[in-house]
Amino acid sequence: MTCQTIYPFVAIVGQERMKLALYLNLINPTISGVLIRGEKGTAKSTAVRALADILPKIQVMQGCPFQLAPEDDIELCRECFRQECREKRLGGERINSIQRHIRVVELPVGATEDRVVGTLDLEHAIRKGEKRVEPGLLAAAHRGILYVDEVNLLDDHVVDVLLDAAAMGVNTIEREGVSFAHPARFVLVGTMNPEEGELRPQLLDRFGLSVHVQGIADRKDRVEVMERRVAFDEDPTGFMARWAEESRRLADRIESARRLYPRVVIERDQLFAIADFCLEVGVDGHRGDIIMMKTAKALAAFEGKEKVEENHVEAAAELALPHRLRRRPLMEMGESVKKVREFRQKTE
Amino acid sequence: MKDLLLASYPFPAIVGQEDLKLSLLLNAVNPRVEGVLIRGEKGTAKSTAVRGLAALLPEIEVPEGCLFSLSPEEAARSCPGCRLCDGQRPVMKRPVQVINLPLNATEDRVAGGIDFEETVRRGERTFLPGLLALAHRGILYVDEVNLLDDHLVDSVLSAVASGINTVEREGISFSHPARFILVGTMNPEEGELRPQFLDRFGLCVEVKAEEDRAARVLTMERREAFDADPAAFFADFEDQMRQLRERLIMARQVLAKVTISGRLRVLIGELCAEANVAGHRADLVMEQAARALAALSDRTEVEEGDILRVAPLVLRHRQREAQPPPPASQKEHEHDHSRDQDQPQEEKDQQAHENPEQESSQGSSSQPRERGNDNSGESSGKGTDENREPETPVNPDALEKVFEVGVTFKVKPFTAQKDRVFRRGSGRRSRSRINGLQGRYVKSTLPRGTHDVALDATLRAAAPFQGQRKSACAIAIEPQDIREKIRERRIGNFLLFVVDASGSMGARARMVATKGAIMSLLLDAYQKRDKVAMISFNKAEARLALPPTSSIDTAARMLADLPVGGRTPLNAALVKSADVLRGQLVRDPTSRPIVVLITDGRCNVSLGGGKPMEECLVLARRLSQDERLRFIVVDTEEQGLIRFGMATRIAEALEARYVKTEDLRADTLLELVRQ
Repeated sequence: MTCQTIYPFVAIVGQERMKLALYLNLINPTISGVLIRGEKGTAKSTAVRALADILPKIQVMQGCPFQLAPEDDIELCRECFRQECREKRLGGERINSIQRHIRVVELPVGATEDRVVGTLDLEHAIRKGEKRVEPGLLAAAHRGILYVDEVNLLDDHVVDVLLDAAAMGVNTIEREGVSFAHPARFVLVGTMNPEEGELRPQLLDRFGLSVHVQGIADRKDRVEVMERRVAFDEDPTGFMARWAEESRRLADRIESARRLYPRVVIERDQLFAIADFCLEVGVDGHRGDIIMMKTAKALAAFEGKEKVEENHVEAAAELALPHRLRRRPLMEMGESVKKVREFRQKTE
Repeated sequence: MKDLLLASYPFPAIVGQEDLKLSLLLNAVNPRVEGVLIRGEKGTAKSTAVRGLAALLPEIEVPEGCLFSLSPEEAARSCPGCRLCDGQRPVMKRPVQVINLPLNATEDRVAGGIDFEETVRRGERTFLPGLLALAHRGILYVDEVNLLDDHLVDSVLSAVASGINTVEREGISFSHPARFILVGTMNPEEGELRPQFLDRFGLCVEVKAEEDRAARVLTMERREAFDADPAAFFADFEDQMRQLRERLIMARQVLAKVTISGRLRVLIGELCAEANVAGHRADLVMEQAARALAALSDRTEVEEGDILRVAPLVLRHRQREAQPPPPASQKEHEHDHSRDQDQPQEEKDQQAHENPEQESSQGSSSQPRERGNDNSGESSGKGTDENREPETPVNPDALEKVFEVGVTFKVKPFTAQKDRVFRRGSGRRSRSRINGLQGRYVKSTLPRGTHDVALDATLRAAAPFQGQRKSACAIAIEPQDIREKIRERRIGNFLLFVVDASGSMGARARMVATKGAIMSLLLDAYQKRDKVAMISFNKAEARLALPPTSSIDTAARMLADLPVGGRTPLNAALVKSADVLRGQLVRDPTSRPIVVLITDGRCNVSLGGGKPMEECLVLARRLSQDERLRFIVVDTEEQGLIRFGMATRIAEALEARYVKTEDLRADTLLELVRQ
């Protein structure tokens, strides 16, 4: 299952902003995701699927369908249906835990609500006459990445469920005779082609960052894209081996940034600068501020710095705010946030 | 476990949002405040505050293991009788619970239904209490309450109204007390609530982001500290939490002793009358909220200040000049409010049809005209039309001009009415029951041949008979047990645009703005995956400019090239529309077309030689008789002193929703097709 050949993330040419946005989410998952907007064929999906080889690792209790960590509260296990595991834990025993990469769980556009949320376990019900919950995609995505390709085409009622879970960090199942709740905190990564229609503002706001990707304009780079693609198609294993070293280096860099993040300091003045920025460009609510601060800190950590610098704040604005601006109707989303700010300053 | 998951960010750590915090505390002190609806933009600590409240709530007494959260007295008097409890259990104390009603809940879990596991085990139908039972004497919390499915809203509403939840389904008949505080959050961008549901919330708060820089910075700092180490953050606020908890317990004890003077009761009555609220719930809630506030301040008498503090919370969503409750952008609508104030509005639809402003302007400019009296109004209207329109050329049919497409904008949502017809299709406009496997599972039914088995319902149906059946599995299912799912989803509609391209539309670049509006509607139609057709009318005839198509591109191109000039054969256009609609309804009998008529209503060409306006109204009335059609009239007449208001009358005859071009914008007040 794991030996599937995937185009290595590091071999993607260009698209630096998109890559950066993904790194930042790996460094601090509470940035809570990225929306990748762009035309067809700009390596949007490839990038997300390729994340696998640079993902950080987490500790998970073996076999836990809800991806809980050994240090999680025991109370969470009280109503779990896995009997042996539950009894062991409530009895004070330690459960084996394993270290594994965080997961990218894909939510297909056609997914039905019961698969997303979880539902009654059919087989168990018929065989044993007992009701038991069958965890859905939200359970699988806890502490990982939930990836929705073409997120703007997602059915409305599935979006509602996503909003609910993303808002609470908890998935509550109250359907088809079962009643259950489990933590569901995930990084929401979505790709979309804006030509197909926009996202509902409420869902838009749930994405921490947004990036706009375009086809590469540089001729040399375009040739590079083609060459690498051909090389990969002809000899996937060899191609992956050639890039393995660089993949590892990137994974290490992300890992050390993750560890550095808690120590990164942001000055009070910079927080004021962020607040001003958000007030001036006009964003709804406080999520913009909070995400911008986190992004600035993650940027500093990624560069191995313990202090947030001015350019980090500026770069954070371009990532965290474009989709939160109170836009004029149908205004292009690709516009620079800085320009918008200058424009608003001038007009006031 | 659920409590554990809910309690996250400490309540006192929320920066600002005083109204929000106060209204939640009032509810925690006095359940008779009847809940709160929290409206506001994204990311303003709406959900965080409610979840934080859970950790503050006081304790209540319940018989041990009672599934219905009854009080000991209730249990002694009328225990509904469940498998766990015989009404003789010892009494224990536990905190008031916050029960979360998720959007994806199915009806059996909300109202309660058969517990198939127990039923199989015991060989008799056993009732499994739903969320409404669990929420008794507690708080029922619905995040994004405006997105809740209608069938769930119905269950909740009937329980709130009677305080009793009655279940009559799957062969069980059962009722139990269900009195709870309803707390909902919503983002108005996503749509409004049904009026009767809205009224059930005792209070309503409007939350906005803090404008104060320091408060924003504090918010960021606290959030980051919380994310970095939740336990330590909680410990920091432990003291404040304890104090607040004690204050709440005190307040609940004081509450019973709080008195209110007759003078202040009169004040409450006056405030409510001034706000022109419907019914008496506002008065009652205001008194209870004021008492709760007095108790919170450790006083045994309500003061005037208490009432003035809570009044806006009580009246905000009940004031009748503003429907729905005032949005953030109040300034723009101020003149609307003042003008509506003197006349009591019975119904919002009526408000949309009648347009007081234009009535007064007409009254001053010429003799007052009576609505509904077609003859006099029509003839004077027509006369003035031709006299007062200097831009209209002498020979109106001679000139034609093409205008560019004006600025586009985001249009507000409009949908077709929901019914019980099953349809096929996809799209995003109106909710409909759907044939096929996609969509939200809303309830189960006896088989209709869709092979979409509702497993849970099937199991529940089979459960009582397990004693008599034998099978290798634990459950034997027979054909008569099979139940199927009924699903709902949004589908696209058929939109017919009827566009006025006459000379009067060409005046003062009005057509530019109108084309912009149509283009906006087209863009919206594209995103909702609608089918569109377009009829344009000018000179002597109406033509089908665009036959029914899903290609919005074609429609957009056609719109750009649409020439304007000539007279207004509105009547011909109505006849043409009827043709097109008939064809559409024959092809797809389940479709519910929406007709968007875009005109200034100055109809001046008759078909039969009579008075054009008279004829037009007759035609419109005839069209309106088909229940399957919905109409929206977009009045393009310019805002100004002299208005003829012909479109208003046509809208009335069509029983249409009447809007002005500028009302189409998503950021204005009313939603388009409601009811």
